[in-house]
Amino acid sequence: MSVRLFLQIASMEARRRMSYRVDFWINSVAGFAAEFAIVWFLWKAMFAESGAEIIAGFTFEQVLVYYVVAILVGRLVRGTEFEGQPSEDIYAGGLNRYLLFPAPYFGVKYAQGAGALLPALVQAVLFGTVWLLIAGGRGMEDVTLLSGAMAIGALLLANILYYLMAYALHLVAFWADNVWSLLVALRFASGLFGGLMVPLALFPDGLREANSYLPFRSLFALPAETLLGRITPEAWAFGMGVGSAWVLILTVVVRVIWRRGNLQYSGIGI
Amino acid sequence: MTRYFVLYVYFLRFSFSRAMEFRVDFFFRIGMDSLWYATHLIFFWALYRYAPFIGGWNFDQALVFAAGLFVSDAIHMTLFSNNGWMFPILVNKGDLDYYLVRPVSSLFFLSLREFAANSFLNLLLAVGILIWSIARYPGELGAGTITIFGVLLLVGCFINYLMHFLFMMPVFWLHNAAGMRDLFFGFGRFTGRPDGIYKGWVRRILTTILPYAIVVSFPTRALFEDDIAGIALHMGVVAALGFGVLLLVWRAGLRVYASASS
Repeated sequence: MSVRLFLQIASMEARRRMSYRVDFWINSVAGFAAEFAIVWFLWKAMFAESGAEIIAGFTFEQVLVYYVVAILVGRLVRGTEFEGQPSEDIYAGGLNRYLLFPAPYFGVKYAQGAGALLPALVQAVLFGTVWLLIAGGRGMEDVTLLSGAMAIGALLLANILYYLMAYALHLVAFWADNVWSLLVALRFASGLFGGLMVPLALFPDGLREANSYLPFRSLFALPAETLLGRITPEAWAFGMGVGSAWVLILTVVVRVIWRRGNLQYSGIGI
Repeated sequence: MTRYFVLYVYFLRFSFSRAMEFRVDFFFRIGMDSLWYATHLIFFWALYRYAPFIGGWNFDQALVFAAGLFVSDAIHMTLFSNNGWMFPILVNKGDLDYYLVRPVSSLFFLSLREFAANSFLNLLLAVGILIWSIARYPGELGAGTITIFGVLLLVGCFINYLMHFLFMMPVFWLHNAAGMRDLFFGFGRFTGRPDGIYKGWVRRILTTILPYAIVVSFPTRALFEDDIAGIALHMGVVAALGFGVLLLVWRAGLRVYASASS
């Protein structure tokens, strides 16, 4: 698939996503406010009731900044995981037209997914700016140009990795009527072990060590910790290596499922 | 009343037979919820490694709270969630007509028509976790207190149902409830944390106008604190007022409902 075609599909999807989305924006703002309020109250209570000034290497300001970054990273990584996805195409028979396209199905869907990220990108810039104005850079003392550049690399890797994980589950629709539960399960597992629910530093050493070899850490914790300058370049390189290895593994898995699924596919739909 | 009971039994039979047609999804759903339970337990366990109390509760109390949350969620998913999901679609397509012409309360029919049989198994699992969390609790919990906790948990589920449908009702005027639905579930995160962490005006809102913080936290507080009557009264008033508001909005909505053109 050519880069030009990829960008054209992504641009078309981005324009579609940015129009008629009043409810989306209300939800985004309210959803972010709710998530942040819960984090703020929860950690305020934890610091107050433990009497500690630092918990798992975080001050109160640092943990708030971590969550703000992780939440925004989460939106950029997950994208619109439940809308216009392969399982719908397979279940409803809409896959037929894509099979006739002179471009690979995965490429077209990933381009659409990339385009659909535009609202999340605007949100990230908007909420990030608002946060900077309110907090004035507290808890972000270690952010540098280099950490920003490394975080962008981690973010791109995280996006393709999450897409592949979700894509593999979507393809189960070749055999099952409804894969929504699998995607929600991925959301739960990635939220906890990816560092969205809690910073991974809260886990005991053994669990943290085991988790560093799983794909989840690369999804949210790696980009967030990298941006905030909380990990060394060596740890970043290790995380990127593990994430890249999982991308390769999942690419193979997805290809196998796609081939087998295609043999099953009737094209009739529901 | 008997008529409603018999009708509900028919709902159950229909829902179970339909669920068994989609067996794979049936098991996927069980796996999904089991994973949700596990992630929540690990979440609280990780937090309590660093703080002896959160929102005034220790780890054992937080476990009971988490288990109460699982039961509350499973009840909502089993009884109300699918119905709340379908409601805006019925209004927009004009299919609400079929509910309005039945010789029973249309709100009853609409709220309980779909019984999620696959979530019912998760309810059994959640109840099992709740029994385990109470049994392992090191303090003394009397049978009477546990019974009150159970009753208040059901009241909390009713309040959650009221909020869900109140969030859906604007579909009569807005014609699109996707945003409101997402808001309901987005704010639902407030339910999953002990109410003791919320302070000030946020706490006042979360225990009155948007009573997410009382759905599970208040029943749990009744289990560990002395002011049971105050907690029960608070929940009772919120439930009664919420039901009154739901009926008012429902009737107002029906007045503007124009069948398929809604």
